[in-house]
Amino acid sequence: MRKFQQMGQSKWKNIFFVLILQLCTLIGLAQVRISGKVTGPDGRGIVSISVSVHNTTYGAVTDADGMYAIQANLRPGSYTIDFSGVGFKSRSQSIQIGNATSYTSDVQLAIDALNMDEVILTGVSLGTTRKQLGSYISTVKADQLTKGATSNVLSALQGKTAGAQIIQNNGDPAGGFSVRLRGVNTILSSSEPLYIVDGVVVNNATNRVTNTQSSYDGSTFVGTVGQNRLADINPADIDHIEVLNGAAAAAIYGSRANAGVIQIFTKKGANGAPVVNFSTGIMVNHLRKKLKVNEAPTKFGGPTDGLTAFTQDLITIPPGSPGLLTNTTPVTRYDYQDYIFQTGLGTDNNVSVSGGTDKTKYYVSGSYFYNQGIVKNTDAQRYSFRANIDQTLNKWLSVNLGLNYINNSSNEKPDGNSFFSPMNSVTIIGNFHNIWQRDALGNLQAVGERGRVNPVSVIEDFKQREETNRVIANLGAKLKPMKGLTFDYTLGIDNYAQNGTTYMPPYAYNVNTAFFGGGVSLDPTQNGYASTGNDYFFQINHELNGTYQFNINHDIASITQLGYSAQYEKNRYSLLQGRGMAPFVQTVTGASTLLAPTDDRSEISVSGEYLQQNFKYKNQLFITGAVRRDGSSVFGENERNQVYYKVSGSYLISETKFWKDKVDWWNTFKIRAAYGQSGNLTGIGAYSRFNTYTSNSYLSRTALNSSSTLANTNVKPERQGELEIGTDMSFLKDRLSLTFNWYSKKVTDLLYSRTIAPTTGFSSLLDNLGSLQNKGFEILLTGSPVSKKDFQWDVTLIYNHNRNKVLDVGSALILLSTNAGAPVALLQGYPVGVFYGTFFAVDGNGNQVKNTSGIPQIEKGIQNSALSYTPQRDNNGLPTGTTLRKVIGDPNPKYTATLTNDISYKKFGLHVQLDAVQGVNVFNADFRTRQGVGNGLVAQQEDLGQIPRGYILGVYQIEQWRVDDGSFVKLREVSLSYDLGKFKFFKDLSVSFSGRNLFSWDNYKGYDPEVNSGGQSTILRGIDFGSVPIPRIFKLGIAAKF
Amino acid sequence: MKKQFIKIAFYGLSAIMLVFHTSCTKNYVNPTAATDQQVFSSPQGLTGVAIGLQRTYTASRASSLYNRVNINGLLTSEMIVLNQGNTGEYQLQLGGGSVDGTNTLAAGLWTSSNKIIYDANNVIAGAQNLSDKGYASGLIAYASIFKALAIGDLSMFWQKVPDGVGINVNFIDRIQGYNNAIAVIDNALTAINANAISAAFLANIPAGINIVNTLHALKARFSLFAGSYSQAMTEANAASLSIKSTFNFTTVNLNPIFETVTSTNNVTAAIDTTTLGLPAGLQPDPSDNRLKFYTTSVYNSKVLGFGAGTITPWPVYLPGEMILIKAEAYARQGTPDLTNALAQLNLVVTKTPASDPYGVGANLPALVGPYTQAQLLDQIYKNRCIELYMSGLKLEDMRRFGRPDSEKKRNLLPYPFQERDNNPNTPPDPTF
Repeated sequence: MRKFQQMGQSKWKNIFFVLILQLCTLIGLAQVRISGKVTGPDGRGIVSISVSVHNTTYGAVTDADGMYAIQANLRPGSYTIDFSGVGFKSRSQSIQIGNATSYTSDVQLAIDALNMDEVILTGVSLGTTRKQLGSYISTVKADQLTKGATSNVLSALQGKTAGAQIIQNNGDPAGGFSVRLRGVNTILSSSEPLYIVDGVVVNNATNRVTNTQSSYDGSTFVGTVGQNRLADINPADIDHIEVLNGAAAAAIYGSRANAGVIQIFTKKGANGAPVVNFSTGIMVNHLRKKLKVNEAPTKFGGPTDGLTAFTQDLITIPPGSPGLLTNTTPVTRYDYQDYIFQTGLGTDNNVSVSGGTDKTKYYVSGSYFYNQGIVKNTDAQRYSFRANIDQTLNKWLSVNLGLNYINNSSNEKPDGNSFFSPMNSVTIIGNFHNIWQRDALGNLQAVGERGRVNPVSVIEDFKQREETNRVIANLGAKLKPMKGLTFDYTLGIDNYAQNGTTYMPPYAYNVNTAFFGGGVSLDPTQNGYASTGNDYFFQINHELNGTYQFNINHDIASITQLGYSAQYEKNRYSLLQGRGMAPFVQTVTGASTLLAPTDDRSEISVSGEYLQQNFKYKNQLFITGAVRRDGSSVFGENERNQVYYKVSGSYLISETKFWKDKVDWWNTFKIRAAYGQSGNLTGIGAYSRFNTYTSNSYLSRTALNSSSTLANTNVKPERQGELEIGTDMSFLKDRLSLTFNWYSKKVTDLLYSRTIAPTTGFSSLLDNLGSLQNKGFEILLTGSPVSKKDFQWDVTLIYNHNRNKVLDVGSALILLSTNAGAPVALLQGYPVGVFYGTFFAVDGNGNQVKNTSGIPQIEKGIQNSALSYTPQRDNNGLPTGTTLRKVIGDPNPKYTATLTNDISYKKFGLHVQLDAVQGVNVFNADFRTRQGVGNGLVAQQEDLGQIPRGYILGVYQIEQWRVDDGSFVKLREVSLSYDLGKFKFFKDLSVSFSGRNLFSWDNYKGYDPEVNSGGQSTILRGIDFGSVPIPRIFKLGIAAKF
Repeated sequence: MKKQFIKIAFYGLSAIMLVFHTSCTKNYVNPTAATDQQVFSSPQGLTGVAIGLQRTYTASRASSLYNRVNINGLLTSEMIVLNQGNTGEYQLQLGGGSVDGTNTLAAGLWTSSNKIIYDANNVIAGAQNLSDKGYASGLIAYASIFKALAIGDLSMFWQKVPDGVGINVNFIDRIQGYNNAIAVIDNALTAINANAISAAFLANIPAGINIVNTLHALKARFSLFAGSYSQAMTEANAASLSIKSTFNFTTVNLNPIFETVTSTNNVTAAIDTTTLGLPAGLQPDPSDNRLKFYTTSVYNSKVLGFGAGTITPWPVYLPGEMILIKAEAYARQGTPDLTNALAQLNLVVTKTPASDPYGVGANLPALVGPYTQAQLLDQIYKNRCIELYMSGLKLEDMRRFGRPDSEKKRNLLPYPFQERDNNPNTPPDPTF
């Protein structure tokens, strides 16, 4: 009892104390409500504008109608309200707080042409305005991503950001995309940028869970083929994307940023009543360009099928025959393209609900996407759910949570690099076989005598499927313990499990064992194939930043930032495979011969810390310096920790008093310069620096083999230094604006497995061996030729010019042997991945040297060095000596450019985007194959006698014959929309008709010069070997808001 | 306010703890591979590397076996290319200046041979430290077979061969290469004579190879190539003519000639079923049973013999080779013994398929002399080409028997660019 009383007493004391305290505060502070409407130049409300009371922590964000409301405890006096948001110039408005409890502050914001006041979040915890940046960072907004009839975020980014070359490597429904920011930045590892979604480092790997056959090496022979995992991100959830092109901008990401950074921010809820957004669309996909095929009525030599079949008659001298056959056999010609291609249908549906109160904001969305490929029996499907929740706990603490679940699955066909893919099964046969013919038992027949796979087997019988289940989660907290000091923390997790299955039923006819056939005898131990591959990936990253901001005096302000980050990732890859399939069993358990399984496990960890100091003088001069130290487990213990520096500055001449007073036609003039360094955390594999023996089962015993590569165990990360100088200008009340960036990047300590003399016992040495550079410039020109209330016309031109050069790779020439036959080389003084090979002999006038039959000749003579040769001629004037080689093509474009026109007239909107890639070569392997087997147009000429018999045989080994002009201008995106505005119970309703990859202006002899059969490979670029062409897509969409 | 700071400190600390919890360690061990130290300190590890030598020599299109058979077959017109899309093979068929340092088959044979020598050296050195000497002699002998084969392959195709492995190695004449291969075999035979190979070792390696017979057979072959005729004869006598010694295959690891040549009908093929690429005058008798053994006209690649099926074992040496070595040694020795030479040759000519452990047998009537030395050598050459068809030895035979360059696509191979570009001691390329 006494105890109770005592306790009671102290409790009462406490309550009393609190009451007194509250009373005291109430004397000074009053609870007030500030509200209003933010409108744009057209008088309509603007969503997502941040409104804050200057020098306090009170703030709000406008809702869909532009309305905001702030509840704040303020002492009477004069305050400033700051308004800022993406795409608009920031504005401040003062307000006098007196005795009233409610205040109104409306404001109209002007369009910000150069986005100088846009808040950039990348690399800083609080965000900074573009004005302050010393380097170029581009921002792409949601509405720019959704007009192009695509549901892949990388596809949607094509042509939207300066300095980026985004290539769709093939037309499979789940795609495969490569992004190069300011050129190729490494040789050995991936040159794809670092992707961050809401603070989570997301994995963009290409995992080989299908196309698991051992011939697919994932290295410099075949390349890195398949889907890359950014396909899991739903563009409809994206609010905006920030792209950092190089080390100068991205130095704050240290060891992870060598290839640049792409940071994706998803949508968040806004204050106000729930808003429901719904959109749906149907897509139609089809082949943009069909190739013409051989229509000659005859072939050379004997029959096409059966016991005495003789195919590849254009390049084969039968054993015992003195030369090519000249007798002919009548044939029926087919166009197999009509069989393998289809018109694919698709649908894309998104629904989201967002809203919130002062303290709690939410965004939840669900999406279903399905699209058929243009190759029969292929498709892709994606379910995606996302929830973003922001909760303010009190004045100094807020937390946020983001959760994204994705289920991504696709029905595939084997990748083009094999002759059992849909494209190559057709390319590799003459178009004179009746592939649909079946025997009395319904079995398909052999195609010729060479053990080729019948395309009908590929389309109808092969089953190849993959599926990914993925969760991306971010948890964050922001603390504002005192004025000017902020801590923020993000924990990110990216976790997925990816499974792929393949089933190739036993063939009923002779198929080469290399294509998983059973050969002539239909060997039951070899006939057919099944596999199941699994990749399990887990990644966790932490980012902790502290920022302290204070004003040194009236003119000079300081921001200091200290941060720590850590990242750990774990990968488990396993593969079961077998051949010699039992009938009807589609799993590996049906295999009579179990092939070598794979069981790879790896762990990587990276951590680092940085300090960044920023000073600003008035609103004119900004200077930033930073230092970062990083360590990665993949590198040698003594070289593991590296320090990277960054310094940048910008000067807004147009903010000076002189300029403001005197120059009214030139509204913005900023000059900037930045220098930064970065490294590459995954420059080598988790264990690449160890020299180990790998095990294989061989003849029922364990065989151990040393690697062909000898590694320097003390290898260190590559280091990139980038200098960027640029300017931003706007004229005529921001109607016209220009951004120009010049940059020079150099990568030193370049990691490479250089070839070494095999007499050392090894074929290559992995070490920090060389250097490469990228130099170039980017121009971004935007203008509004018409800007009226009902008629707005905006034009954007992006021009990128990059020159890549290998400075040193340890030897003068490294020539790679590749699956497609492309002679890909690393040559000092030349861009990465040039084609270096044999070429046509020409005379002094540049005309081809031909023999008496009129057949061009391969150049021969003396090869003095990799880059120097002396042609020789024999008495007949024909080339003699050893076969000569030179650089015959370059897959790196001279320039890329994009022209976008956006026109809105009353309720109509029109968006037209043209993309150009110019001065580039493609190694068109399929072109030669089509002539060799006789389905191409050169073959038709030879069949018809329009060119000499033996022409194709004569030029077949000349690699230059396969180098094709890859330059193109593409009508990338067209979108016509009609906005009904408020309509019945809809707050907003719009319909759109859009198209993607509609036309291409090019001289390419294949389907589409935008292709890479090397997939996402860094070195193998511009190779066309059986890849599915990129479809033309039309989409009809409806978007509604409730 | 104070409370707030305590709270902040608490939250901050827990956040920092969470951060540091994840990634302090940066030393991970690769569970899927073994280090040098682990491998060479245990009998199991050494055995695994030794089996790895056989794998490098025989597994797939990248193997020494595939490259040796095809380089030799195409340069000597035993074989032909069916699809010139196979660039490396096609260059060899064109021969001359078309074969250069980029040739993938030549570079492959060069690289795998040197790899085998490098790892065999490690196994032989590691075996010396084992206490179980019977196991050690098995390791040394088994690894020596592949090391000798690798040195022999280099000597068969290149004018000069590397003197061991290492940085900027020097080159020696290829005949010295054969003598080095013989020295490797002698070292193995010495080890076996000191301590017989233990049963435990034999249980740990794949079945197929008879180690002792193979060592003698290879020594006989290289002695003949090096011109040591009496040694060749002694060793040929020491190699059993009835016990098989083979590289075996499974349905997982296929016979590489079947895998790439026979089953595809699209890479290379036997040139025909009648001449085997031999010039008029040396062509096989149409009733020679060996034609049916080695070739078929049922499918385009025409390959039968030791490339007939998925798991057809590949002989390391043939009994016929040993007999023909003796015949040639009699015919070439300081004082030629043409009578015994013909007697040995006739053992091969009259051999029936049933009496040969592999079924290779001409089953023809005996040759009746008298022959001059030159005539007899021609007959020995002819029978080597037929008896040892597609074994990879013919280019060496053509040089030894003085066949004209017009019968060959090349006499010797150019050195791979990868060697030339990285080793300043690489000799100049032969002109043909």
